[in-house]
Amino acid sequence: MLYFELFLQGLLQGCIYALVAVGLTLVYGLLRILHVAHAGLYTLGGYFGVLVYNSSGSLILSGVVAMFGVGFLGVIIYRLCYEPILDQPPYVPLIASIGLFIAMEELYRILFGSYGISYTNPPLQKMLPLGGLYLREGELVTILVSIILIGGLAWLSSRTRLGLAWRATVTDPQMAESFGIDPIRVRYINFFIGSALAGAAGMIVGILNNLVEPTMGSVPSYKALAIIVLGGLGSVRGTLVAALALGVVESFGTIYLGNVLNRDAIAFVFLILVLMVRPQGMFRGV
Amino acid sequence: MGYEISLLTFMGISIIGSLSLNLITGFCGQVSLGHVAFVGIGAYTASILTKADTPFFVALLAGMLLAGTFGVMVGLASLRVRHDFLAITTMGVNFVFLGVVRQQEWLGGELGISSIPDPGFGKLGFLALVIGCVILVALLSLQIRRSWMGYVFEAISGDEDTARMLGLDVSRYKLIAFALGTALAGLSGGLYAHHVRFIFPDSFAFVESITLLAMVVIGGNGSILGVIVASALLSVLPQWFQFIGDYKLLLYGSLLFVVMRFSPGGLAGLAQNIFPKSKKSIVLKENQ
Amino acid sequence: MKLKKVLSLIPALFMFFGIAWADTIKIGFNVPLTGFAAADGESALNGAKLAVNQANASGGINGKQIELVVYDDQASPKEAVPIANRLIEKDGVKVAVSGSYSGSTRAAAGVFQAAGIPYISAYAIHPDITRSGNYVFRTSFMGEVQGRAGALLIGQTMQHKRVVVITLKNDFGKSLATGFKAEAANFGIEIINEYEYSIRDRQFGPIVAKVRADNPDAIYASGYFFTAGPLVNQLRSGGVTVPVIGQEGYDGEHFIKIGGAAAEGVIITTSLDRDSDKPETVSFIAEYEKFTGNKVDMVAASTHTAIKVVVDALRKAGTDDPDSIRQAISQTQLTAATGQISFNRIGEVRKNVQVQIVRNGEWRYHSTIKDKNILAPPES
Repeated sequence: MLYFELFLQGLLQGCIYALVAVGLTLVYGLLRILHVAHAGLYTLGGYFGVLVYNSSGSLILSGVVAMFGVGFLGVIIYRLCYEPILDQPPYVPLIASIGLFIAMEELYRILFGSYGISYTNPPLQKMLPLGGLYLREGELVTILVSIILIGGLAWLSSRTRLGLAWRATVTDPQMAESFGIDPIRVRYINFFIGSALAGAAGMIVGILNNLVEPTMGSVPSYKALAIIVLGGLGSVRGTLVAALALGVVESFGTIYLGNVLNRDAIAFVFLILVLMVRPQGMFRGV
Repeated sequence: MGYEISLLTFMGISIIGSLSLNLITGFCGQVSLGHVAFVGIGAYTASILTKADTPFFVALLAGMLLAGTFGVMVGLASLRVRHDFLAITTMGVNFVFLGVVRQQEWLGGELGISSIPDPGFGKLGFLALVIGCVILVALLSLQIRRSWMGYVFEAISGDEDTARMLGLDVSRYKLIAFALGTALAGLSGGLYAHHVRFIFPDSFAFVESITLLAMVVIGGNGSILGVIVASALLSVLPQWFQFIGDYKLLLYGSLLFVVMRFSPGGLAGLAQNIFPKSKKSIVLKENQ
Repeated sequence: MKLKKVLSLIPALFMFFGIAWADTIKIGFNVPLTGFAAADGESALNGAKLAVNQANASGGINGKQIELVVYDDQASPKEAVPIANRLIEKDGVKVAVSGSYSGSTRAAAGVFQAAGIPYISAYAIHPDITRSGNYVFRTSFMGEVQGRAGALLIGQTMQHKRVVVITLKNDFGKSLATGFKAEAANFGIEIINEYEYSIRDRQFGPIVAKVRADNPDAIYASGYFFTAGPLVNQLRSGGVTVPVIGQEGYDGEHFIKIGGAAAEGVIITTSLDRDSDKPETVSFIAEYEKFTGNKVDMVAASTHTAIKVVVDALRKAGTDDPDSIRQAISQTQLTAATGQISFNRIGEVRKNVQVQIVRNGEWRYHSTIKDKNILAPPES
């Protein structure tokens, strides 16, 4: 039973990782940029969620604001920050993104305070007795929301014209353009969706922890990078598998290896081992 | 004068650190996101040795050797994984280093290593030593750039596959770049440890690797003078900006972003635009 | 001509300001105002400012006003060393207080010791800070001492024998665990398991599941409000109902805000007793709330105490000679918000441990630990 619980907790953490990492891999797949500022958008989702909920009491409204607000901001960041430097060597957008992320963290601290914000009436806290398992509503919702959002993404990608245009642009941008697909529109949508997912993740984590802090994006900022590399840069499926796998590895690792290595080190040892065996990541990306 | 001396000493140590990264990332084009781990290896090695009564310079050298050895191991990884994969792998190296150091009591664990012995040169003497090292490392970088090794590095940086096709031993030179760069990082670490006389895992956190990379990139990837200037400025920026207080980090992040956004060639690129000069080295890239 | 006239005024201006400045006594203060430790830095700065304001309101130091010279060290040793040098040389402070974490305090302590300037660590717990030398003091508990007190509290006072230890992986958590483990057996405690977590962790699902499987009588968990709050929440949601005992890292309103209902009944070892009737404590709590609009926390209280110790020593020394100040500090017998302050041979504080418990969403008195043996800090 314990092992199953640890596994479940790992999947739960993996779902959150997945929501963040998928957005990152979408950006990489399209533009070969390591979009570290993505973690700043994740944090913003947390802030939107808690602030809107504390004043309105509506979970739906908070979720919508978190996702759409962050989605739009993601597009703006693409437009103002990345678009002008797309032709530069990869470390340029990387450092620019890191600078942006640092600035965002500090902005949150200055605007919202360094202590963080909590939910005055935390939603989704009820315990659900499922057999011998203890699961909070919030945790169940996390898994459901992840399935819905990422499933929705998969449906969008494979069953709609938009998704087709997207996949075409990722595979061969010039060919796609010659077929009349507008690459700029594809990029906007790409950033919107990826950022919206991160915003959702941020809000969910804020609810689970009952704490939204300015620095809550710092671990996802590098963890998500590890995950997308693990999964094979640019491969959404790979990222999903890697995110869930890492969640489970960390879950067992912190209990049984916790006195040997800390959580981040465990994650990166896992990464390095996989890369030594398969240098292109678990799945083939771009 | 003590305040100015300590600032200059930190500046010098940072310059050595970023010049060492410049060899790997700037000259040879291998992006390393975990460079401070090697600074840390040098620091811990030198400290443990001097606390065991090893002479200072021997300890410093040992730190460099150990850092370089681990650097070669990471270099071997670079033969297997490329570009962005390599960058993330090096990031992983930083975290694994931290994870190991945090757990081992003989390395100080979470409490780190205190009471590192004073090498006995006095504040001014130590500064002279650091400046001497800066000059040596800068000259070494200059010499490398002008040499055949520098040519191969630049070729690898430009296009690895083409370089290989031309018959250059890409693997060997990559390893050399890592070995040199990480050994010099170890030097920076040993000097740091004996200046602050206290080290602990947080001194070598991932954010410090980013700082080193930022110094290199803002200086202008590959430009020795640019990197020196950028390191000098960025290392003491928080002290100068004390009066800004609350907005210091915000400014730092914005600075990184603005420089990359508007002058991706860094300070060197900016200088080139203002004072165009002839290219000094033979390049394997396309015509400019 | 006009320029010359203006220029000639400048030395006069300098003399004027020079004289004016000489009328203040400066206390150096390094504190993390930006970066990951900014929350504690804010509390520390508020505690210090309040203490300075109060001292100035009651006549300053023999008539001179006190000036707090504040620098942001981002909780980094690299920043703290130049700051220490700057305070000593440029600002000419004759005494300083650290409102920062262990790393930066340890690094700065070396500089102050070498320069012969007294330095007090308000809440940084690294054992080697006071070992820098006889000019360095600490007004808060060492990690080990508090850990030992925790063992007494759980094993003797509360009579719980099967304990799971959850340790924060940093100097604070590790030293607490060391002290706890050293004394656990003496109080009949069996440590079933120990789990460690990083300062950035907020989700403890795996640990909660394992702890439930371990089925202990009590949990000894180290952390800060931003880790302990979520931990306690998740423990209760995960069906773990046994008492949770923490330390001063929890101390403050934010832990209760984050933990919500789960915070009820949590017990901590700390230095601040909200139910105290001692005037120093009562007035501190009331004035701090008035001054900042926030409720008190341990970091603010510790820093307030450290400044009070400095002020008291400055008044007694009557001079700004650092050696005399150092002497006065070492002979401190002061009642502050955090208890009776006196120092031992190496500058470690000797005081009782307050135990507080959360009742109805507030920190209330639980008990006091006075055992001299357990609480004795090292003498070297």
